[in-house]
Amino acid sequence: MTTWIHPGRLAARLRADPGLAIAFGAAAAVLGAFVLYPAFRVLVYPSWQDYLAIPHSVRWVQAARNSLLMMVLSTATATLLGFVFAFATTRIDVPGRRFFRTVAMLPLFAPPFMVAFAYILMFGRQGLITRTLLGLDVNIFGWWGLWLVQTIAFFPLAMLIIAGVLDAVNPSLEHAARNLGADEWEVLRTVSVPLIRPGVAGAMLVVAISVLADFGNAVIIAGGFPLLATEAWFRMEGMGDLRGAALVVAMLLVPSLTLFLLERYWVSRRVYVTVTGRGSRLEHPPTPPLFKWAAFAVCALAALMVLLVYFGVVAGAVTAVWGRDWSPTLDHWRLATDRIDTLWTSVRIGALAGAGTAAVAVLVAFLTSRALPGRQILDFLAVLPGALPGVFVGVGFVLAFNPTPLGGSLWLLAIALAFWHLPMGYQAARARFQQIDRSIEEAAANLGATGLRVLRDVYVPLLVRAVFDAFAVSFIRAVTNVSIVIFLIAPGQVVATFVILNMIQNNIWGAAAALTTMLLLLTFAAIGATWLGAGRVLRTSPMG
Amino acid sequence: MRRLFVVVLLLVAVFAGTTGAGAQAGRIVVYSALPDLETSMIHREFTRRTGIQVEALSVAAAGTLQARIRAERDRPRADVFVGGSRDFHIPLAREGLLVRYRSPVAAEARVSPAYLDPDGYWHGWYLGALAIIVNAERWDRELGPRGVRKPTTWDDLVRPEFRGQFVMPSPVTTGGGYIFVATQIFRLGEERAWTYLRALNTNASQYTPTAPGTITLLERGEAIVGMMWAHEAIGARALRFAPLEVTVPPDSGFEVGAVSILRGTRNLEGARAYVDFLMSRTPQEINARFGFRYPVRADVSVPAGATPFAQLRFVRYDLEWAIQNQTRIREQWTRDIGR
Repeated sequence: MTTWIHPGRLAARLRADPGLAIAFGAAAAVLGAFVLYPAFRVLVYPSWQDYLAIPHSVRWVQAARNSLLMMVLSTATATLLGFVFAFATTRIDVPGRRFFRTVAMLPLFAPPFMVAFAYILMFGRQGLITRTLLGLDVNIFGWWGLWLVQTIAFFPLAMLIIAGVLDAVNPSLEHAARNLGADEWEVLRTVSVPLIRPGVAGAMLVVAISVLADFGNAVIIAGGFPLLATEAWFRMEGMGDLRGAALVVAMLLVPSLTLFLLERYWVSRRVYVTVTGRGSRLEHPPTPPLFKWAAFAVCALAALMVLLVYFGVVAGAVTAVWGRDWSPTLDHWRLATDRIDTLWTSVRIGALAGAGTAAVAVLVAFLTSRALPGRQILDFLAVLPGALPGVFVGVGFVLAFNPTPLGGSLWLLAIALAFWHLPMGYQAARARFQQIDRSIEEAAANLGATGLRVLRDVYVPLLVRAVFDAFAVSFIRAVTNVSIVIFLIAPGQVVATFVILNMIQNNIWGAAAALTTMLLLLTFAAIGATWLGAGRVLRTSPMG
Repeated sequence: MRRLFVVVLLLVAVFAGTTGAGAQAGRIVVYSALPDLETSMIHREFTRRTGIQVEALSVAAAGTLQARIRAERDRPRADVFVGGSRDFHIPLAREGLLVRYRSPVAAEARVSPAYLDPDGYWHGWYLGALAIIVNAERWDRELGPRGVRKPTTWDDLVRPEFRGQFVMPSPVTTGGGYIFVATQIFRLGEERAWTYLRALNTNASQYTPTAPGTITLLERGEAIVGMMWAHEAIGARALRFAPLEVTVPPDSGFEVGAVSILRGTRNLEGARAYVDFLMSRTPQEINARFGFRYPVRADVSVPAGATPFAQLRFVRYDLEWAIQNQTRIREQWTRDIGR
């Protein structure tokens, strides 16, 4: 699997091409400094006695158990729902397929805490649906509420990956089976399922990592029961107990990294999905009406649950007092506009993070596409952040860089976000590099161009899109991030998500909803710009 | 192609225009333990009057900010620590992390010396009292019909009818939570106080990491009974029609909300101006009107819907003991109660 660096060979290559040598050194240095070093600091911060004491702490054992339980439950339901959704919209002639697909994409652009927030408004004790319409007294706070929220928040991720796999299955195989006399059930059992099994397994692992690391929803809705992700924050922020925080995130890393390595080396496939839909293909035979309408019902319900998220937040922003006084008002917007400066801070940090992700992603993707010995290591480091929960990265950056001049600056937050989103940008750039025909490069080399010159004159023009994509994805994720922000927040860089989270926790729902709406508009504006600027591509990667 | 590089460079240049904490004159950095709303209203008024820009981080948990200030001991990032009870400022003063100052504005207004540090490390500028809070809606629906008596004393809180229905802010991260625990110790003696707290723990559904979090749960009816600052509940009732009833029990605890200047401040003049400002009328009026906290100035009226502070009955609060034992009590809580 791994090719070890042969020092002699690498040195020879690099001597022959000093530009490449500098690039290689730079990439290795930044990945080492901003991916490996913080992770290393987290792991060595607690003493081994601290690690040995974990099983004796009731609260931590409880948090670990809760986290793993939530992971299993939410992953199962989110993957199942994602699968039904993907299957219905690719294989079954369900009415309104396109609409369903689009709706299911929506949660991918929402701030991570938005589902929890909207569902409190809809299904909590003051809930529009549970209380006002149905007259029920429901407690959404707790494990089943979180389960519901995470199912809705993460099924789109599963759907995208599985749909990509389904699209990649050539229907002629299934037709061949039918021609050989198999009925639909047999086709599914003997042909389709074996073909898509690895894809579904991959989707499951990606969703599991996301659920495990989810901080935004957990912190809002799981008040009464400890989870690893939220526990880390309470330790550090609440008690100033950095050691405890480091210990908790180290505990969180174990399952997360395991899942990641499984996904990468066992399922071992990258999935790219184009939003434009499917390529040309043979038609699928019509499905029996019973199936069709059952699938339609599931899709409709899931789509409704997603639309409720958006409806809840927008409605919350224009309602006087949620649950008590339903008259429309614009007062909350005044409050939210008061904190609009935080939105600009978000944009600034997001732009820096996006630029950082794009630059590093393209550089590393170029290097790993060379026949350089040691490229596997760079490749691994570039995708590794996908295995790290946000709270882990947050604690790591606090430990590694807070005592340095970078500490408490806008740059630190931007760098943390840039490297955490690197895998997405990197894989996009990688995919572009693989599309480029090597002969162009060979021609350039024959004309005497060095490696860097090849990069500049041949690759970069072809890569503008990848740069845009990497920038946009990183930007959108950065402005909606909570898990890292919460650890690195400092005066002068108070971002919108932090203020929204505070508002939600302090019951200032109207202003929180208004500010969230503004953040959404910003996010969609960024998506729109990318759409215009660089092809309609959306990638998923193992990240929450 | 060149264009793209230029665009990226420009982007970076534009967005990197400002860095973190403001070192330049005419700007101060504030850690505020008051909620975002009051903080930003007061700061806007401060900037309007003095021209000094404020960069604030509000986290409604004084213990959290105290931990931050300690952690940043070698590279202080803030100039001022505002809000949170004096209980959280005094330990910082003893660790040498605060700067002395005596505001002439406080002297001029004849603020009671009980609310000012004799050594000048901190200034008290608002007051608050601990209270028992009941969600009337759920009470009338669930406990009222069963003939349960409403809680009016601290001892009532451990009655078995409230199992799983009690909330309060965490004694580890918030001032209100810590002062409550200290109050129980002064009321019962330490040993009996821990017995009481363990009994209370069987009723507790959760301890919220920030102070307003407790009110949020009560307001939404996620819990029926709670312990919290009276002003937070009165505020929720007045601003959001929350169905909350507030009782300040005998032997209650109180806070003197303080402001202090951090050692290592890069803008001493600005920080002093800020303290002077908080001792003046306007911010205390804002705080009484929107935060429902009692002013320390006699010329600012008591918040709407609150009993005058002088009429409340408090436990003999041994401030010195509460400060000396703060770390120990918080650690013991984490060990014994573990939530």
